Amino acid sequence: MSVYSELAVMEGVIAAGEYAYRGDRYNFKGQLSEEMARMASIMCRATTMSTHMQADILCANSDNCPFESAHGWIVMGPQFTVCVMANVFCFVQNEPGVLNRIFERMRDKLMDADEMV
Amino acid sequence: MSSLDTLKSLEGVSAAFEFSDTGELTNHWVAPDSNLTPETLDLLAHVFVANIAIATLQARGWETTTGQGGFYPIQGFTLVGFEWSTVGNGRQGVVLRNDVADFEAAYAALDGPG
Amino acid sequence: MIRQLLALDGVLVICHFRDDGALVEGYGMLGEDMMERLAKFAHDYKRMVQGNTDQFSMFTGLPGWAPPRGWNVRGAQCTVCSVGNLVCFIDNAEASLNEVMRELTCASQY
Repeated sequence: MSVYSELAVMEGVIAAGEYAYRGDRYNFKGQLSEEMARMASIMCRATTMSTHMQADILCANSDNCPFESAHGWIVMGPQFTVCVMANVFCFVQNEPGVLNRIFERMRDKLMDADEMV
Repeated sequence: MSSLDTLKSLEGVSAAFEFSDTGELTNHWVAPDSNLTPETLDLLAHVFVANIAIATLQARGWETTTGQGGFYPIQGFTLVGFEWSTVGNGRQGVVLRNDVADFEAAYAALDGPG
Repeated sequence: MIRQLLALDGVLVICHFRDDGALVEGYGMLGEDMMERLAKFAHDYKRMVQGNTDQFSMFTGLPGWAPPRGWNVRGAQCTVCSVGNLVCFIDNAEASLNEVMRELTCASQY
């Protein structure tokens, strides 16, 4: 079972998917239309690109940098949060315990994912 | 706004800091066993400002295009590293150890009264 | 070929980078190490601008923006300009940004 399929059935998850680092392929499961999933993939890819660049710049001139490479990012709105690790995204409801549980699962499954190619 | 004292009590915290609207570091605390420098925290503050601006663009576009609300206004951004994450909103940030990080508590503390 | 751009007023450095961010060639007043960094930065920045332009096009439906041709970032004394896989570093007081962008556009099509 793919990681995004596992995430999609977890409590509080609206939808989860994966996107290609290059090109525009994506897969998803959950309460998004096909067009919304395509847009979500484009947005998540763009933010992942910039966080990688930012982590590189952060660590370019310092030893012991805690963000040697960016593994993911989270952005929170009033009702929903987007959590991304490697090339997997997850839209979650802002309900107690949900974000921490999702992050933990994504960290376990994806923290060792290969560097972005 | 919560004070740095509140942020310092978060589990696994190694730094808490405040910054201006444009990302310049204005106040910070670093745990005794951490080697984070003010220069690094200043860069992280700029990371928050940059990403919250981009996320705001995305939230505005998403809500206009799909009609689905719930993302705007952006309330915070987290950069996840291998061992550490940094969580911030418009004016404050913390650096947390991933294995014990409580992101919900961090966002709540960043949002809280100062 | 790109070395000729150094002849323009205020152009301090010109680099050509590969699609993976590696430096192909670079000329001007920076060492090899710094040119490699500039190439990597320009490559990353290009991809970031591509991502943001894609989103702008997606949300507005406006034609004519994507794919982006280039970008420039203006600082107090210097500006970094890039078109295609070329990036250059110019002195604001000496250079004409319009001329540099025009010449970069030509050179990027060699």
